[in-house]
Amino acid sequence: MILDQPLNVLIVEDEMLLAVELSFLVQEAGLRDVGHAMSSEEAVRLARALTPDLALVDVHLNDGPTGVEAARLIAEDCGGVVLFMTANVMRLPDDFAGACGVIGKPYSENAVKRALAYLECCLRNDHAPGPPPLGLILSPAFRLRWGGGVELAG
Amino acid sequence: MEPGCPPQGSQGPEDDEEGMSKGDPPDPDDGLVRLPEPAASGSADIARYAQELEAALRQRTALLHEIDHRVKNNLQLISSLLVLQCRRIENPEARAPLRSMLERVNAVATVHRRLFKSTDPERFDVAEFARDLVTDLSQSLGREGVAVRLDLQAVNAPANHAAALALILNELVVNALKHGFPDGRAGAVTVTVRPHGETLEIEVLDNGVGGLEAQPAFGLTIVKMLSQQVRGQGEVQDAQPGRRVIVRVPVAETE
Repeated sequence: MILDQPLNVLIVEDEMLLAVELSFLVQEAGLRDVGHAMSSEEAVRLARALTPDLALVDVHLNDGPTGVEAARLIAEDCGGVVLFMTANVMRLPDDFAGACGVIGKPYSENAVKRALAYLECCLRNDHAPGPPPLGLILSPAFRLRWGGGVELAG
Repeated sequence: MEPGCPPQGSQGPEDDEEGMSKGDPPDPDDGLVRLPEPAASGSADIARYAQELEAALRQRTALLHEIDHRVKNNLQLISSLLVLQCRRIENPEARAPLRSMLERVNAVATVHRRLFKSTDPERFDVAEFARDLVTDLSQSLGREGVAVRLDLQAVNAPANHAAALALILNELVVNALKHGFPDGRAGAVTVTVRPHGETLEIEVLDNGVGGLEAQPAFGLTIVKMLSQQVRGQGEVQDAQPGRRVIVRVPVAETE
């Protein structure tokens, strides 16, 4: 992450319309949309090549429910922070596969905008500016890492 | 229990049945759960039927998750379609009705995000839902100088009223925020959810400009139709200043 540069964001979503909407929201949040992937293989390949600061990852991709494993590889191998965006919040593993959190679908435009601004702040300072905005659930590991002693609202 | 089947003999009939079933495999796709034949219900059979029941239950649960997942994804897709089209319309007046539709779709989507989280799928807590919806609306529509306050008590309503209640609350809050405070006027909107006996009371109070004629026709029509649908009653009062709208809906368990 280069401090005075926008954060690089990779979008991993097999629904084209959702990916396009996310791309708009990423750019409006002042972040840089560096690429789209629709399968887990493409996601991991792009993450390795582009080393994004943040990857927005759906669980169901066009090669099946492979987003969780892709997220684990991206988080472990590429140094990027992963945020899940899925309708299957309840089925994520307890450790969130190394991801920082999840936004449940169906999300609102407003919820994604707030979450992106919040995560940018967390990523740049390695500390949360406060409790996460409505709709964003942080993983236990990242709550600890970013939240410090702050009581974070679910 | 089974007079014709002494404990020592239970192994024999089971072997026989397995031998017979080779030529006639059970059809796992027909969705039917077969009850054991009384004469063959040794402990091994009971264990096997328990396994089959568990497998059938797992299959049904997976199916329910799949449907829930698809409904949520499709709501997301509808919302994204509206967002993308809104982005192409430059004229704010032309965009306004589409934004209103987006807000309504989001209200229904908020319900769906909440529904499967509750332990009882037949009921949902209006207060929890109202917190999500009103927070989202005040963040996306609100502005400096207009405070949005929540006064929420848990009220369980039937889940089949969830979408109607969501849309009613959406119209009332959107209306107060959009029309109550023109020309930079400051003030507050207070949303109250409370139980009153076996009735749910939703109250939206603003201290804005008031006046009933400012109510946009379609929003009011939605509130009227849906209140009727859930056998509720609405009341609009002059709050001097501003407006108070109360919707009362019966929510007894027998509803």
